[in-house]
Amino acid sequence: MDLLSNLITGFGYLAGIQPAVAIVVGVILGILAGAMPGLSPSMGVALLVPFTYKLSPQISLILLGSIYIAANYGGSITAVTINTPGTPSAVVTSFDGYPLTKMGKPGVGLGTSLIASTVGGIIGTIILIFFSVPLARLAVKLHPAEYFALAIFGLATVASLGGKNWAKAFIAALLGLLINTVGIDPISGVQRFTFGNYKLFDGFALVPALIGLFALSEVFSRMEEYKLEKGVEAKFEKANWPKFLDYWKLKFTILRSSILGTLIGIFPGAGATIAAFLSYDVAKKSSKHPETFGKGNPEGVAAAEAANSSSVGGALVPLLALGIPGSATTAVLIGALMIHDINPGPLLFVERPDIVYSLFAALLVANAVMLVLGLWGSKLWIKVTIIPKKVLLPSILAISIIGSFAVHYSFFDVASCIGFGIAGWLLKKYGFPAAPIVLGMVLGKLAETNFRRAVLMGGYRVFITRPVSVILLILAVASFAVPLMQNRKNSQAEKQQ
Amino acid sequence: MEVVKFLGKGPGLALLLGIMIAVLGVVIFLARRSSKKEYTGRITFPVLFMEIAFVFLIILLGFKKGSANTVGPEVVPLLWIIGIFAFSIILLVKALLGHEEKDPEWGNIKVTITYILFTILYLIIMQYLGYYISTVLFLIGGMYYLTYRNWKVMISLTAGWLVFSYLAFYKLLYVPLPQGKLISWIFG
Repeated sequence: MDLLSNLITGFGYLAGIQPAVAIVVGVILGILAGAMPGLSPSMGVALLVPFTYKLSPQISLILLGSIYIAANYGGSITAVTINTPGTPSAVVTSFDGYPLTKMGKPGVGLGTSLIASTVGGIIGTIILIFFSVPLARLAVKLHPAEYFALAIFGLATVASLGGKNWAKAFIAALLGLLINTVGIDPISGVQRFTFGNYKLFDGFALVPALIGLFALSEVFSRMEEYKLEKGVEAKFEKANWPKFLDYWKLKFTILRSSILGTLIGIFPGAGATIAAFLSYDVAKKSSKHPETFGKGNPEGVAAAEAANSSSVGGALVPLLALGIPGSATTAVLIGALMIHDINPGPLLFVERPDIVYSLFAALLVANAVMLVLGLWGSKLWIKVTIIPKKVLLPSILAISIIGSFAVHYSFFDVASCIGFGIAGWLLKKYGFPAAPIVLGMVLGKLAETNFRRAVLMGGYRVFITRPVSVILLILAVASFAVPLMQNRKNSQAEKQQ
Repeated sequence: MEVVKFLGKGPGLALLLGIMIAVLGVVIFLARRSSKKEYTGRITFPVLFMEIAFVFLIILLGFKKGSANTVGPEVVPLLWIIGIFAFSIILLVKALLGHEEKDPEWGNIKVTITYILFTILYLIIMQYLGYYISTVLFLIGGMYYLTYRNWKVMISLTAGWLVFSYLAFYKLLYVPLPQGKLISWIFG
């Protein structure tokens, strides 16, 4: 009952003008930050922190929380319309979102991503409200061996991402993992594959790499198909938006992905990208038509978006309940809380329930506001798809260049973005998917540091002596083997026919 | 071991990279002359990956090893390198046996290469003329090259993008957009 009365008080706090303005402004800025390649949700939140100095702690948290929620959705807009994921997690949205646009159905991709994001965000927040304390305690008890097993489980999704080209997908993932080892080793301090160049001491930045692999490679592919003829313009076609029944068909995918996304979001260091990859993989495996994934199946968009939006609720679990930031954005949020003399942790729920529950209420309202603004804005976003290629392609390049420069203010990042773009274009041409490279870059650090920590703590046997680790590794082997066996079965059936 | 140390850094590494490029050239040449010429690309890629893995392996052998109870910095990259070798061999065998699809057709490669060079030139010019002037040249030049001739749209889009870049990145996000060495030298 305490929880309900606190929640009602939290909603009551939102009745004023200031909280309402904070939510609307936060959602708008979050969508813009998410949609802009090079601006991550953490950057969006960090940029607004100085503006919160003079605001009350509640309003500050409401504003920053709204940005965090909306930025995860914003990333899908450019992923669906121009294959340029605004955030790393939106990479997964582009797998089916962009093919939908190519098929002339950008409305389906945008509509599905908006609804899935909203529902995912709400489910993530509900789980946060009801289970934050026990879930946070469970997450921090996990051993590095279990984190390593989780990373391997994530990597096993490559088998289904690759489909018939599984060997190529694995090479792509291994290249991503190898790229991830470039830089100073975080444990021993040894320089690895830096070629003596100090700009490589921190390794390759993820954002320029993914802008290159997805946006630039797509621009170069389109250029290759391009004919230098005057007067050929894009046709305007009326956008087809999904109907209520179309969304209803996705209910189980959205629900399952939202729960999975929230749970993965709770693990410190896992985050929205891994949540999106895993949920996409699960959705593909449980679909009646897995062969349509990657070719414009709205289920793929729904799974990715529901998972990455719900992971926000998950990431807030260890932050609020234990004071442990599990992601870059929650690390910024903890800083913002400390500016206002608020120390997150178990005592926060007892000492300052007003702050905690007004944030919970604001997150629920922010999702609703995001839905309204998203529906209104989608009519605007969709117009991106009717811009003539002659204007769009140079514009994407200009956005990509400034986006990769803005990460570290470095020309090296821009050069690496172009390098990844050229590599992505050539690899894609020969059937090597780009997504496993990103997956390898995302999971590499999680896998390596936890593998080494686990061995240090319990030797190599630790991976088979801890039950959770064993279960996750068995699941990884299964999710690796099942798609391969299915592929083999399908190709044998094709041969017989 | 001395040879490995020599090849792992400095001039030795440059020599190793040179050898790798030469080997790749020979592979492409031989593939094109063989009965598998339609699979040249399918053969080249696995060879390239094995070469990358080999260079990383040579560098890795020079790393300080971990002690008995720890996993050194060389162990995990070694696992990935072994994986790249294994899968590359699978792909190479498939290509040599003709179990892969034939190489895809190249499209309008001239436009793509020109645009890549144009983008690289944009980056170089940006360091001398600054972000704003080079972006004007890049956007208008890029659209013009792709045969777009609606000057109103070209100018308004470029101006709009510059205003957005200035307000969003320079003013709001404090991104130090390059001023340009030449511009700084002229205007101080």
